Amino acid sequence: MLEFRRRTLLQSAAVAPLAGLLGSSLFPQRAMADDSVLYGELDPQAQRGGSLTVGSLIEPPSMDIYHQAGEAVNFIAVLMYQTLVYADPSGTAHPLLAESWEISPDATTYTFNLRQGVTFHTGEPFEAEDVKYSLDYQRNPENGTIGARDFADIAQVDVLDTHVVRVTLQGPNSAFLITLAHRNASPIPRGWYDRPNARALLNSTSVGTGPFRLAEFQPNSYIRMERNPDYWQPGLPHLDEIIVNFIPNSAGMLVAVRNGRVDMAVLVRPQDALQLEGEEGLTVQRSISLNQKSLDLDCTYGPLTDERVRQAIALLIDRDAVMQAGIAGYGQVLGTMVPGMQDRWGVPLDQLPNQTVDVDLARTLLTEAGHADGFDIDLTTIIGYEWMEPAALALVEQLAAGGIRANINRVDLGTWLSNFRSRQMGFTLNDWGTPPDPNILFYRHFHKQPEGADFRNWNDDIASDLLDRGRAALTFEERRALYDAFQLRLAESVPTVMMFGADHLIVVSNRVKNHRMHPIGWHFGLVKTWLEA
Amino acid sequence: MVRFVARRLAASLVTLILASIVVFAMVRAVPGDIVEQMLGQLGGTEGEATLRRFFGLDQPIYLQYLAWLGGAVQGDLGVSWRLGRPVAGLVTSAFLVSFQLSLLVLVISAVIGVPVGLIVGRRSGGALDSIVQSFNVVALATPVFWIGLMLLFGVSEVFSWSPPTIYVSPFRSVADNLTILLLPILSLAFLQIAAYAQFVRQHVIEALGQEYVRAARARGVPMRRLLMTHVLRNILVPLSTFMGLIFIQILGGVVVIESIFGLPGLGRLLVNALNARDFPVVQGALLAVLVAAITVNLIVDLFYRAIDPRLRT
Repeated sequence: MLEFRRRTLLQSAAVAPLAGLLGSSLFPQRAMADDSVLYGELDPQAQRGGSLTVGSLIEPPSMDIYHQAGEAVNFIAVLMYQTLVYADPSGTAHPLLAESWEISPDATTYTFNLRQGVTFHTGEPFEAEDVKYSLDYQRNPENGTIGARDFADIAQVDVLDTHVVRVTLQGPNSAFLITLAHRNASPIPRGWYDRPNARALLNSTSVGTGPFRLAEFQPNSYIRMERNPDYWQPGLPHLDEIIVNFIPNSAGMLVAVRNGRVDMAVLVRPQDALQLEGEEGLTVQRSISLNQKSLDLDCTYGPLTDERVRQAIALLIDRDAVMQAGIAGYGQVLGTMVPGMQDRWGVPLDQLPNQTVDVDLARTLLTEAGHADGFDIDLTTIIGYEWMEPAALALVEQLAAGGIRANINRVDLGTWLSNFRSRQMGFTLNDWGTPPDPNILFYRHFHKQPEGADFRNWNDDIASDLLDRGRAALTFEERRALYDAFQLRLAESVPTVMMFGADHLIVVSNRVKNHRMHPIGWHFGLVKTWLEA
Repeated sequence: MVRFVARRLAASLVTLILASIVVFAMVRAVPGDIVEQMLGQLGGTEGEATLRRFFGLDQPIYLQYLAWLGGAVQGDLGVSWRLGRPVAGLVTSAFLVSFQLSLLVLVISAVIGVPVGLIVGRRSGGALDSIVQSFNVVALATPVFWIGLMLLFGVSEVFSWSPPTIYVSPFRSVADNLTILLLPILSLAFLQIAAYAQFVRQHVIEALGQEYVRAARARGVPMRRLLMTHVLRNILVPLSTFMGLIFIQILGGVVVIESIFGLPGLGRLLVNALNARDFPVVQGALLAVLVAAITVNLIVDLFYRAIDPRLRT
């Protein structure tokens, strides 16, 4: 049975007009906790107990949440570590470990009143000093943390009281609350990293405040989390235990799901969803994501230096056909925004340039750019990303219509990452996601250096100016207008072609109840999931 | 004998050091490092420098190698960069999984393959021989991963059963352990049974044509006794070499099977460590494979000398 969670789709649709009606305020300048919105809806019929086994194709390299990036860490870590702020599926910030907050009129000072009675898994009480330690450690570039850049605009963190902390920014940052919702901003006990062997210890114990705590991490096999008996939300979580079982290949996963060896699994291959649909005792859930599968163009790489060539490439690509080839249509065609944010932040596709196939115009542009006979170019794919191979084959064919002769160049993730980070990506397929905020989505990737990373060497003054203004803007309308302008610039100049976003495909056993996947793909929903006895 | 072992061990040590240099150089030649893996698309330059210092990656490569070698000769293989756990422990537990699987495959294949080879070798050209030959050709030509996948899907389809996905050590439960290893053993055994049968069959046919066997037969020695005492004894020497080679081959081949069946063995440890650029684990795991290969060769040689007196002089 295939279940498409329309609710998740519609939630984001509902937000845009609402934000308009509320008018002006970008974020609530005062916010009070409403625990019912945290981690999705509560099922009144929920039963307590049981052990849930989740099959996962990916494995976290380590559980050191301050130093280890990656989705494999994110999706598990959110069950053990909590942040001051929770970003709901629509991208709205809600108090989580904060009970409430106040923002100064110039949006540079955030005062958080923290929840009382919360304890870390270590047994220590959660207080303002811990928040200060955690943010100070994370933002100190000397510490080699993954959030150093995210929190670089924090000027200082002050403890005002045992449970009150004030964060002062160097300037307004409209995405600050959503930035705080990332797991790398999770408070940990003060002084944690001063302990000997602190990083290694995080692979055998968790030090967050979350509903589950780490019981066991067997590399190459599984992670076992058990219910935190001191968790602060009454009645939660429902499950006694979650085991994340690392199964390194899709075939093994498929068989394990069918035979009840795992209760739930994230599917990455559309053919697996097709095979499991209609299977007795199983439900394939499909929901919208914040993912994008894009074609990135290094703007200093050979013929791609010429904007007309990049526009021609965009005009040759039939995004829907590439999506059909890559993920059998289990996704959404994109313009310049990820699917889960399209309704709230995206410019409608028919208002963007270079979105529909126009081979004649593409050929004209290539001729103007001096490539009447086309050119040869390497198209890079990453080994292990199964959608890339068929998508690349489709792209090769489509590009050939304009005379562009693309040769597929397959590299391993380590090599690809190394090239990407050193801004030598060439012409490559990419697969990435974002927390639900346009500043976080665009700033690092597309702002010129040194403020942004500008991985694609776009170095675009107009875009960078729009991104700076978008970051500083204080009202939704102002932000929306600026990010609309940015997206038009993105579509016009084509440093990337955001082709499509894959939907989340989760297969669950029918004994798994009230499971909802957050668009970001992290397992927040398991806090309120329960198992039928 | 002691001198022989000492000489072999000294030679092995030189091999190990040379191999470790090659492995070290090859691993470091792979683009990217653990810091890039940790920070992904995030992070800043200052932080990267800090982390590289932390892992000693700021040192020249030869110094990094010497530091590693210095630890290794004292039995300290270092600490996994991604997990912070001692490499020796990680490699040992993974090695035991692969070793147990390989050993079981080696023994089970021999127990089935050698008698089959003896039987069909004795009656080569017969109907049974043709059937076994056909099986051998198919088994030898079929990739192990394909057999593994077919078994996984086939058994699931027919019996609605698949092996548990969380590995249990034999020290905890032999029954659970064997339940998990059943299909992986079968996947690997097809090829090895065929290899044994083919090898033994060939030697039996050759032996049966030898003068001394023909003479024994003329003396009225029963065929059964002839096979067991003369023929089998004579093929023990090449068979022991063959088993050594097969064992190393299986140990190498389990990588694919471990991946299909999700076993936490050496292959999977190596692949994950390489993906994370966790160099100490990669080096430790490869060292374990090398030591295993050298040890098996040494055991084969010793066995060789034990059963063939000519080699003792």
